[in-house]
Amino acid sequence: MKKLLTGAAALAMAVSLAPAGFAGGHKSYTIGVSNTVQGNGWREQMICAMRAQALVEGDVTNLIVAHRNTDSAGQLEDLNNLIEAGVDAIVLNPSNPDALNSALEAAMAQDIVVVAVDAGVTAEGAYILSNNQEEYAYLGAKWLFEQLGGSGDVVYMRGIAGVSADTDRDNGFKRALAEYPDINVVHEVFTGWQQDQGKQQMFDFLATGIPFDGVWTSGIDNVIVDAFVESGAPLVPIVGADNAGFVQYLSEVDGLQGAAVTNPGSVGGAGIALAVDILNGEAPESATVLVDPVLWENTTEAGRATIEAAQNPNLDPEWPVSVTIPGWTDYSMEEIIACEGPGDS
Amino acid sequence: MKGLVRKHGWSLGLGLLFLLLLAVTRLIQPTFGASGFESLARAALPFAFATAGMAIVVIVGGIDLSVASMMAVAAVLAAVLMERIAGVPALFIVLAAGLVMGLVNGALIVLTRVPDIVVTLAMLFVWEGVALLILETPGGAASDWLEAGIRGFFPVEGIPQALLIIVVAIGAVWLPVRRSKLGLSIYATGSDERAAFRSGVAVGRTKIAAYGLCGLFCAMGGLSLAALTGIGEPVPGPYLLASVAAVVLGGVVLGGGRGGLLGPIIAVFILRIIRTILTLMAVDPNVTTIIEGTIMVAVVMLGTWLTMRGARR
Repeated sequence: MKKLLTGAAALAMAVSLAPAGFAGGHKSYTIGVSNTVQGNGWREQMICAMRAQALVEGDVTNLIVAHRNTDSAGQLEDLNNLIEAGVDAIVLNPSNPDALNSALEAAMAQDIVVVAVDAGVTAEGAYILSNNQEEYAYLGAKWLFEQLGGSGDVVYMRGIAGVSADTDRDNGFKRALAEYPDINVVHEVFTGWQQDQGKQQMFDFLATGIPFDGVWTSGIDNVIVDAFVESGAPLVPIVGADNAGFVQYLSEVDGLQGAAVTNPGSVGGAGIALAVDILNGEAPESATVLVDPVLWENTTEAGRATIEAAQNPNLDPEWPVSVTIPGWTDYSMEEIIACEGPGDS
Repeated sequence: MKGLVRKHGWSLGLGLLFLLLLAVTRLIQPTFGASGFESLARAALPFAFATAGMAIVVIVGGIDLSVASMMAVAAVLAAVLMERIAGVPALFIVLAAGLVMGLVNGALIVLTRVPDIVVTLAMLFVWEGVALLILETPGGAASDWLEAGIRGFFPVEGIPQALLIIVVAIGAVWLPVRRSKLGLSIYATGSDERAAFRSGVAVGRTKIAAYGLCGLFCAMGGLSLAALTGIGEPVPGPYLLASVAAVVLGGVVLGGGRGGLLGPIIAVFILRIIRTILTLMAVDPNVTTIIEGTIMVAVVMLGTWLTMRGARR
């Protein structure tokens, strides 16, 4: 027993006397990533975009990814571990806007750059980068209203009442509506972002026989097409998101005119790019940065070519189809599918 | 001395393993020091209380699958109350609520004679629903002193306040119980319920009391969640399986009657520091859980082998 204790003491001493690790040179950043939802297609794309972007950013030598299913206390633990690991920046998808402030403030006190992607944090000094949800709705609605020639009746299928993304999208939709005074909303529902619920709501509305000319959806899209096809109703123009199922319908379903607006998980890659910019002294003027979506439609030759190019058989069917963000991410589609970051071999 | 070593052999071994892992951490990250240990102790807080509660019900021969849900109830209750009334009464209300939840679990098991695992599985959903009724979405606010109370060092630099809270809170509840008639009854019931009954132990009451203690510790766990995050979250965290893992690693025999609380608490720190090490080494997150599980099985197997070899001599 005594021998064992002496041994342990000797080991502890040897360790504390060990030389300090080699200091990192200039511009060899280590970035930490924290995420608390594992196994969801959107989040997995976000993580792979972070890895791919870190790989192509020349200044990032190491990426530490803490990625598991946990609660806010678990994310605090991960953030504190990343601080201990001596990272230069932390890019996180926060589990809650208020719960993480203690760790984020501790990080910023040590001059660690903090970038929250997808959702905001209330910690002062943290940068927030997310998809521009207002623009998302505006872009799709505007396309739809133009498609109808500026006049007609539309069905407006929203997400969840009270959720910030839904509120932002509603503002964008209303903005487009104000520009087209002859467009009329005949039916407004909350799908709860539930596939089955949205489909049933469309069945119910088709059964009323009230005529309408187009549908705007908040991302519950391919099941709406199904509802039309299954009930034998003539298709009208439909706006959805860049979910794999809907994008596939845009290129395959006969007579479907539609548009997919991107809501990419690759916003994570943009978060890494922003963190590197800030580390290099090129901080944005505002702490909140919004990434603008793009629209893919299947009514023009160019639009169909874009949709064709976006579809890749190697792409995970659970991922959003748009894998890059113009102006932000620099990796190729092969690199994000490979999902390898710096330090991986 | 020899007797003490034999009695606490498992805990001593775990303690040495923890020191070894601390040394490894320093080897990987030379800057890992007091502040790193402090954040480790803070991360261990909710796990330590969940594990202490789970250990007691495992010692009495049961299992409580509702620990994480009870912690969620306590956390949202604390966050909601502390936003409205003074912190200290709120604290005691939460502790009382935890005790009551545990007593309800125990009473249902004893009165209905439905197996522990079934009753507490059902209560997992019941308490989860209660937490959502109290607070539908994350919110509320923990008292500032509660948030500040778990940070920093006390009484000297190097001893994290969170560690002190774990030791004092669990010690203050468990040591008097352990030395009383109730403690003896808990071990007797866990090791052989029928023999305990025939020796005059009030088996039913002992079980209910053990579940009550578990609920009390879960309330402390919920309070530490509120203290860590500053808010209450109604969705249960990953504390159920983590607490069972720490109990097993801590040398408590599943089935009851043997083990203590010291081993499981050290085991909590071991499991936490393994995660720290894996993060520092930037191990692929999909691989970390595999490594965590493998290390656990390996340690338990090694420990059992050592114990058996020691017993044969």
